[in-house]
Amino acid sequence: MLNVDLFINGLIIGLFYALMAVGLTLIFGILKVVNFAHGEFYMVGAYTYTLAAFKLGFDPWLALPLALAAGAFAGWLTERTLMRPLYAGYSSWGLMRDEYAVVVTFALSLLLINLVDKVVGPYPQRGPGLVDIPRMALGPIMLSGQKLAATGMSIAMIAGLALFLRYSLWGRQIQAVAQNRLGASLAGIDTARASSLVFALSGALAALAGALLAPIINASPDVGAFPAIKSYVIVVLGGMGSMPGSIAASLALGVLESFGAVYISYDYRDTFGLAILMLVLIFRPQGLFGERGREV
Amino acid sequence: MNIPSRQWRLAVATTAAGLSIAAHAADPIKIGISIAQSPPGSVVQGMQVKDGLEIIKDQVNKAGGALGRSIELVYEDNQGVPEKGRAATEKLITRDKVVAVTGGHQSSVCLAEIEVAKRYNVPYVNTNCWSDDVRKKEYPQVFNPGNYNSRVGQAMAETIAAMRVKRVIALVENTDYGIGQAKAVAEALKQKAPSVEYKYETLDRAGKDFTPAVLPLRANPPEMILTMLLPPAAYIVMNQLYEQGVAPSAKTWLYDGAGIADYPDFWQNVKEAGKYMLEFGLYHPQMKTPKLGLEVAKTYQQRTKNEPNRLIFQAADSLLLIVDAIKQAKGTDPNAMIKALETMKFEGVRGEFRFSKEPGYKFHQWVEIPYVNYQLTEVNQPVSKSLLVQGPGIPLSVDKLKKPAK
Repeated sequence: MLNVDLFINGLIIGLFYALMAVGLTLIFGILKVVNFAHGEFYMVGAYTYTLAAFKLGFDPWLALPLALAAGAFAGWLTERTLMRPLYAGYSSWGLMRDEYAVVVTFALSLLLINLVDKVVGPYPQRGPGLVDIPRMALGPIMLSGQKLAATGMSIAMIAGLALFLRYSLWGRQIQAVAQNRLGASLAGIDTARASSLVFALSGALAALAGALLAPIINASPDVGAFPAIKSYVIVVLGGMGSMPGSIAASLALGVLESFGAVYISYDYRDTFGLAILMLVLIFRPQGLFGERGREV
Repeated sequence: MNIPSRQWRLAVATTAAGLSIAAHAADPIKIGISIAQSPPGSVVQGMQVKDGLEIIKDQVNKAGGALGRSIELVYEDNQGVPEKGRAATEKLITRDKVVAVTGGHQSSVCLAEIEVAKRYNVPYVNTNCWSDDVRKKEYPQVFNPGNYNSRVGQAMAETIAAMRVKRVIALVENTDYGIGQAKAVAEALKQKAPSVEYKYETLDRAGKDFTPAVLPLRANPPEMILTMLLPPAAYIVMNQLYEQGVAPSAKTWLYDGAGIADYPDFWQNVKEAGKYMLEFGLYHPQMKTPKLGLEVAKTYQQRTKNEPNRLIFQAADSLLLIVDAIKQAKGTDPNAMIKALETMKFEGVRGEFRFSKEPGYKFHQWVEIPYVNYQLTEVNQPVSKSLLVQGPGIPLSVDKLKKPAK
């Protein structure tokens, strides 16, 4: 019975990781940079949801899309103001792309954490549940109504995103830009708009994760650090830029951590992912679902 | 009239010295405060310490300050990180020229900071670092008017023995405080209840999901779970224990050793998970409190609209101790202040005491620091309405304790 518990809980936490990691994967896929402020989009979602419900009196079901919109706006704004120099005709920027992206997103991360700490306050705040059931038995599994709702919505969002990328016009444009930015541009695709869209999507997904988890993992200024670090590991594990890879890696990491914490040691729980990451980098550097290289 | 140049020089020198002394006398006395004001440290604790210090600073300055000089508090944010605490203390002492340092509220940080205080021979009043190791170093500059792990260990072991539970699991944060307290409970249990089966599990204080640590407890529930963690990790652990139906439950008591139930954000974060929790605390409104303490409590309530808690009083006492030491030393010479702190009988906001000179964990410690045990019996219950089962002058009475039906 314990093993069933561990497996299901591992899958659930893996789904939450996936909601975060796919956004980071999308950004890497299209811009080939790592967004170090990704965890803070999660934090923006957690706070928007919690404060909209408690301070403005919004129903939690209305606060949720508000959090999603706040995350999308934060992502879009970040792309428009901070990331544009990467590809907006500044020739020298191209050479220092990685350094620029690391510095600017890391600075944004610190700015947002400290801004929220000073403006909203340092106290952790537990968001209201979408479903007011503190705990329930689902067969052999115990979980809260909120966790069940969050799990269902995470599955729906990830499936929706996959369908959007595969079948919608904008989704196919994003895929084209991810494959070859110059080629897509020559084919008439507005690559700048695709980048904005990806950042907005990424911010929205992270913020949604923050909002859904705010009643479980209380909102606090540094709450984004934990999912962000997991996401970086997942993106590399799954294959940089591969969405199916990041989903599979998220679920695998969730389950691995769950079992490892019990059967090896809880103390080393956060190191399991890093140990697997090192092995993957040694034996399959392109990640589980990544391609070794591609040039046009 | 011709004035000889020697007389001129003497006159100028005397005037300059006089002006300098006058300016010096008017200068405020700077006291360094190193607290967590931003994550990942416990900012909640840092804010409470600051609130307590500000109340006393205002009181002292309103009454004319110390030796005719006002008190100025110089704050540094240590973020709850040892190396930042070390740098903050270094900066306070060398650049701001503070005469003493206080405010410390996280053991790992205090352990780093006292090394700096020792090196510069500056008095360091530890506000809330519980680790025995802070005392065991026996640094003459370090004084401890706050609580200590051995005290908690003894108190919790007594309660566990009285409740006759046989199997106890502690969930503790992976810090000097958490691991130190878990070990202190183990030591005390060997004396007071040797038959109790006890073990502890360390959890990452920055962790957000503790379900894998909780699930095995659901499969094999102990009779009591102890928690020794600070928020926000403490709140998340409590919620996950409750969600999994582990504790508080008909089978398993939940007993917190970190004194978190009087934090202003406690109920907002735990809701049903806090009901029936047994709490070790250092303050309860039903405790006998000196007049000065009641004044501090009243001012705190006026300023924040929150119920007062232990950290307000501990911070108030920390600053009062330094001010009294300056007064008794008739100046800010560190050796004179340290001597004054060692010998003085201090009347603070929590009672009267002297610092012990006994070596080990009692060194420069208020040994008989008062504590309480109480149980929260309703959701959103203020500490003043909680069930007090032990306190100064109130013997432990576990028969009063309530357990959930399932």
